[in-house]
Amino acid sequence: MSKVEGVSKVESVSKVKGLQTFPGNRIIWHALIVGVVWLLLLLLNNNIDPLYSSYLALIAMYATAMFGMTILVGLSGQVSLGNGALMAVGGYVFALTSMNWETVPIFGWQWNAIWSMVFAGLGGVLVGGVVGGLAARLKGPYLAGLTLGLAVGVPAITNRFPELLGGENGLMLTVPYPDGGYAAAGAAASLDPGAEGELESTTDPGGDQNGELATDDQFAELDLSEFDQETDPDAGLATEDLLTDEDFGSGDQLADGDLLTEEDFGSGDQLGLDGTDIGTDIGTDAGTDIGADLNVDSDSLLDGFDSGFIIERWQASMAIAVACIVAFAALNLVRGRQGRVWKAVRDDPIAAAVVGISPSGSKVSAFVVSSLFAALAGAVFAQILSFIGPGAFGLGLSLSLLVGIVLGGRASLLGAILGAILLVWLPELVDGLAGERGWPEQITNNAPNLLYGLLVVAVVLAAPGGVTGTIRSWVDKARGKARSPLS
Amino acid sequence: MLETVDLCVSYGAVKALNGMNLVVPRGEVTAVIGANGAGKSTLMRTLAGLVSPQSGQVLFDGASIAGTKPEDIVRNGLALVPEGRSTIPELTVEENLRLGGLWRSKSDRGASRDIVFDLFPILNERSTMRADTLSGGERQQLAIGRALMSDPKCLLLDEPSLGLAPLIVTQILELVSRLARETNLAVLLVEQNAVTALRVATTGVVLNLGEVVKSGPAAEISSDEELRHAYLGY
Amino acid sequence: MTNFIDYLLGGFSNGAVIALMALALVLVWRSTRMVNFAQVGQAMFTTYIALTVQQSTGNWVLALVVALLAGSILGVVVFFLVIRPVKNSDTTGAIIATFGVLIALQAGAGMIWGGDPEGFVPPVDNAGLEIGGRIWPVSLYDLLVLAVTAVLVIGLTLLFTKTSLGLSMRASAFNPEVARLSGVRVNRMLITGWAIAGATGAIGGVLIAPFSTISPNSFDILLVFAFTAAVIGGLDSLIGAVTFGIGTGLVISLVSGYSDSGNAPIVALVLLALNLLLKPDGVFGHHGSRSV
Repeated sequence: MSKVEGVSKVESVSKVKGLQTFPGNRIIWHALIVGVVWLLLLLLNNNIDPLYSSYLALIAMYATAMFGMTILVGLSGQVSLGNGALMAVGGYVFALTSMNWETVPIFGWQWNAIWSMVFAGLGGVLVGGVVGGLAARLKGPYLAGLTLGLAVGVPAITNRFPELLGGENGLMLTVPYPDGGYAAAGAAASLDPGAEGELESTTDPGGDQNGELATDDQFAELDLSEFDQETDPDAGLATEDLLTDEDFGSGDQLADGDLLTEEDFGSGDQLGLDGTDIGTDIGTDAGTDIGADLNVDSDSLLDGFDSGFIIERWQASMAIAVACIVAFAALNLVRGRQGRVWKAVRDDPIAAAVVGISPSGSKVSAFVVSSLFAALAGAVFAQILSFIGPGAFGLGLSLSLLVGIVLGGRASLLGAILGAILLVWLPELVDGLAGERGWPEQITNNAPNLLYGLLVVAVVLAAPGGVTGTIRSWVDKARGKARSPLS
Repeated sequence: MLETVDLCVSYGAVKALNGMNLVVPRGEVTAVIGANGAGKSTLMRTLAGLVSPQSGQVLFDGASIAGTKPEDIVRNGLALVPEGRSTIPELTVEENLRLGGLWRSKSDRGASRDIVFDLFPILNERSTMRADTLSGGERQQLAIGRALMSDPKCLLLDEPSLGLAPLIVTQILELVSRLARETNLAVLLVEQNAVTALRVATTGVVLNLGEVVKSGPAAEISSDEELRHAYLGY
Repeated sequence: MTNFIDYLLGGFSNGAVIALMALALVLVWRSTRMVNFAQVGQAMFTTYIALTVQQSTGNWVLALVVALLAGSILGVVVFFLVIRPVKNSDTTGAIIATFGVLIALQAGAGMIWGGDPEGFVPPVDNAGLEIGGRIWPVSLYDLLVLAVTAVLVIGLTLLFTKTSLGLSMRASAFNPEVARLSGVRVNRMLITGWAIAGATGAIGGVLIAPFSTISPNSFDILLVFAFTAAVIGGLDSLIGAVTFGIGTGLVISLVSGYSDSGNAPIVALVLLALNLLLKPDGVFGHHGSRSV
């Protein structure tokens, strides 16, 4: 890994063109690092309380978006508040595509989830490209202001197309859980009014394979027409929409016979407590980590759960998967030639142009990459929430991303992770303290943000490199080298 | 009036002034000349307080002013007309002038303004027009006028000839020289154009690479051919 | 057609407030060449202070004056927090710092006054005036807003063009070095600029408060509108800020009237994007030169 330290700007810029030592080696090394971290995280995930799994999921989700911020704000030097809006784009594209697709189960897994993520990513790339193209011409405050407008304006777009985008109330998502997922006791739990016709698919995952959950018999009788109308939020509940006794009285609603009982689980063709079915559903492809997990830890997974599936763990492993893939890409970009290009343009666009790098091209590419990551993070977020709406993706989210990256360390991927941890952990810490000391809600709700704001100012004034940058400069000073904490 | 003693100024590793000794007496024009990069502008900026010296002294009217802020130095009577057209184009002529003496009383300003208009009548004519409508020579007059509005005891002129026709430069400098004599003003003139500078100056100081090579009566310097060839390029 | 006129009339007082916010942004830009994104946060904070004063004393004028003073002080405080990175040439950091201040102010306001939207009682009636047998979309309060804005704008213009202080401030903004060489204490002028900007924003905040409820985040959208107006007018131009501030108010009123009020931020975003694309120096701004 090459480092540029203590050399003049022109030299460093020309090194960008010349230096390509064994990129293959570097990529393998990165893959190893990411792979090991991924495994460790999965191990962690499966041995902690599901509550912590949900934190892990959020941290992974934020980290995914933060990696984009590292590139955009840190390496490319463009202060943008648009990534929250781009997360919204990703989330909405994911929701729309996963809701309206036919299920294509492959290896028993919801293949359309992956496709939806791909589309989400594409959406991010497209929007990011457009915004980036405009942003490349803008300097500092103008860029910040435009992206500020984006952050405030994009959520407003959801109100423009309420039928499609769900308006203020957003869209309910059916998360494409893997086989046997979320079939908890009480089939009503999986009724999702927003997803007409989806019901069969979620409760019949990979049903073709081994005939588990012979669901068609159980749920086909459900008359969903009552719920169709609610997908149009403008329609509102009309009296005919309301369920009345009639609806319940007839045999085509949930009858006792429909509910999953011990019997259903006891028979060999349902999810068995011995975990073999889980293994067969999902684990046939040894490569999928989720399958591998469930294979290995199916016993612990199943403790206390009839269905054998813990939603938080799934969320976390999904989020971790995405985060690790993105981290791998980010690592290669940041520590490779492209990273040096971005930094070169940030530090001296004219010198960069002199050695043949296009400053605007580099700015746009930074935007596109960070938008891609943000969109993927948004898609993950949507799956964690099972819901997407404008409220979660407003200015506050974009500001949080900025806060995270500044505090963690602007130009460092590790800083991105630290920032993500901070964003999830600090509010919990404050909540805990508040519980102990009986602080009023007003204080508790706002304390994290107050801290964030003050810390951001303090960091900019005193330690512009954030946590990682400051530690790096200590290390460098100890080694006797001089380097700007912002590089 | 103005004196430097062993003045050393560096920009990072580059020594711009290396132990410079200079005396600028009242009532006459002292010209500092030398090639580009000799350290002339550095000298001016240090005297005016924009740059801090590494060592040495700057004495104004007997008192040390090294490290004093420029705005205070001006208020004490040392005014710099920096290099380039140092007028503010968006302000009017009158505003540019008024700016030079804002801290003074209205009547004091009025007296100074009369002096300036006397010296540079064109400024009176164009007093309500924006400074960017003036020609180069007129703007130089305005810049000097602004400095004069502070009622200086010592005036520093940094390369006033830049970008101006020689005739105009000569006119302006002769006016300044006359002012120096008549009002007992100390004038330090820094110039690349040695010919014109030495013509109006009483004393000439030749600067090369931050050090004084020779100083003496202007006529002597301008007639010293070897010196001129070596350091002044003609 | 009557609808059109109604929407226009209704938009003036909103536009006036946007103009004041845009003015504040421009004032800061002119003195220190940076955009203070915390400006609306400051205005929000001082408006809460004004609310408290009004609720306890019932005196609107007193509340306005207190807000004004608080705004100046807050402006100076934020100046000191945010200007240091600029001095060290970390312009990215300066932008980030203003956002940090914004976040902190919003959180602080939430802590002190709670997040529930509060109502602000206007000093005079906010109902439409009845003239000639018709209810117009202009109320006494609207007229008051316009009057206060006009007084403020005229006052600032006079300050800048006629007074020594104004001249010092303009010179400090145009060319700090020449200003210093003319004896101007430039740093003090910068601080004064921020103080005036803070006061202007504070007044804007108090004026807009009765039109809806205030909460820590309610001014966010105003930031977008004010920034849009300031940029379109050319960040250097006070006239531009006022003109396009009012213009933005009118446009928003029309948009809200003819379609949905939720469309307003989208329209603002589009206008901003177009302007940045086509005329990055603004309508009244010129590259390299500025005007009052």
